[in-house]
Amino acid sequence: MVTAINDDMFSGQAIEDPYGYYGQLRSEDPVHWNEKYKLWVLTRYEDVVWCTRHNELFSSAVFKTDERTPYPEIEESDMGLYDDIRKFFASWFIQHDRPVHMDMRRVLHGYFTPKSMEQWRPMVKSVIKDLLDEADEQGEMDIMRDFATPLPLFVIAQMMGMPYEDRKFIRMLAEKLLFIGRGDIGRMQPLHDGIYELIDYLSPVVEKRIKNPEDDFISVLAEGEKSGIYTREQVVSNAILLLLAGHETTINLICNGSLAFMQHPDQWDLLKNDKGDVVPPLINRATEECLRYDPPVKSIQRIASEDVEMGGKLIRKNDRIRWFITGANRDPEQFEDPDTFDINRWPNAHVGFGSGIHHCLGATLARLEGQEAFKALADRYDTLNLEAREFDYQPSITFRSLKALPVTMAMAAD
Amino acid sequence: MAGKLQVSIDHNVCVGNAMCPHLAGKTFALNDDRQGSVIDPDGDTRENVLEAAEACPVSAITVVDAESGEQLFP
Repeated sequence: MVTAINDDMFSGQAIEDPYGYYGQLRSEDPVHWNEKYKLWVLTRYEDVVWCTRHNELFSSAVFKTDERTPYPEIEESDMGLYDDIRKFFASWFIQHDRPVHMDMRRVLHGYFTPKSMEQWRPMVKSVIKDLLDEADEQGEMDIMRDFATPLPLFVIAQMMGMPYEDRKFIRMLAEKLLFIGRGDIGRMQPLHDGIYELIDYLSPVVEKRIKNPEDDFISVLAEGEKSGIYTREQVVSNAILLLLAGHETTINLICNGSLAFMQHPDQWDLLKNDKGDVVPPLINRATEECLRYDPPVKSIQRIASEDVEMGGKLIRKNDRIRWFITGANRDPEQFEDPDTFDINRWPNAHVGFGSGIHHCLGATLARLEGQEAFKALADRYDTLNLEAREFDYQPSITFRSLKALPVTMAMAAD
Repeated sequence: MAGKLQVSIDHNVCVGNAMCPHLAGKTFALNDDRQGSVIDPDGDTRENVLEAAEACPVSAITVVDAESGEQLFP
């Protein structure tokens, strides 16, 4: 079936209401050829999961393999910048297939076990307390600017072993890297600047950690260089990957989740009145539901390794593919009342963290931060009042990211 | 020919992504440390156990045929 849907995914309805847009695609043309950008758009839960479990058919080495020009188009004079950018992203471990992917990823596993992540919980709680104390003095906050952004940023800077006062500088550079999922014709310059400024900032740190390892993930990557799995260039670029993936996603989880609670006061009340009488605990279920209902990452890209038939369509070798978590997480074939925000939903097999061998490495950390953030808000405030009627999202097809989320707070009585 | 299996999880690498209990919930569960653990190696079909082992993002799961000793995964 052919759909009449507009193929522009970088503006308009697709950005403002991706659930409407990708939901329509899912019901009208679930394996959709986007003629405007020449790629396959997958939106059904079953198809997305099937793709993630068939990593031999759908290559993650997108930047290495794909020699076509980027979409949407860029300035022709920026093609040289794009070549550098491609080379940089191609060195991320997530941009590899087996067996190299496994070797590169394995270096990091020990750092991300649940036990080792758990040691960060007290620090996460204490940062949350400080941020909310500060907000209470003002009586209002922009959840995006004052809460959702500084928390994960602080945590990831600690994990990198970076000094506290560098975090705003780190965020400024990281923001330039977010241009990767956007449509601006001039996006290559900020992206290129961000990459090279981060490389300049981190290279001397890597040099230090090689000589004197510390208790941070740059030292873990540096170990990977010593064992011959990472080159120096890869240590630096993968440190940037962990920096970026380690906070941008969690920012969106906290911001989108807070919005969902404000838009569903009944669910907010449920969380506030949590009696602690369900297993797994309500706060864990609620965080999973936030990850399903309005997930931080909207889509993931792949390149077909061979011809594959899907839903009666022929995906040809080397075709570009993007699958939409945004579509899969609201699929009525998988979830009952998929458009209902229900924090008691369990089991909840959402694909907010992906699935299969590329499943999010930092999922445990993201969950920990989300759980503590939502719990702290519900414990501290009677109500959070939205001070905006319209919501402006970043024009990205990769991240579901609000530009701001201003609120006023009413304190809970002691 | 569905003989018994020996299934083990390397807890030095398991990051608790919970793919295994999701795909073979009678064989795997999360323990108190939120890492995968084997509750009954023959709880699910051999096919489901192997699917769980293959889907593990960190390849922490080893599956051996208990009778022949043949390693089935990885």
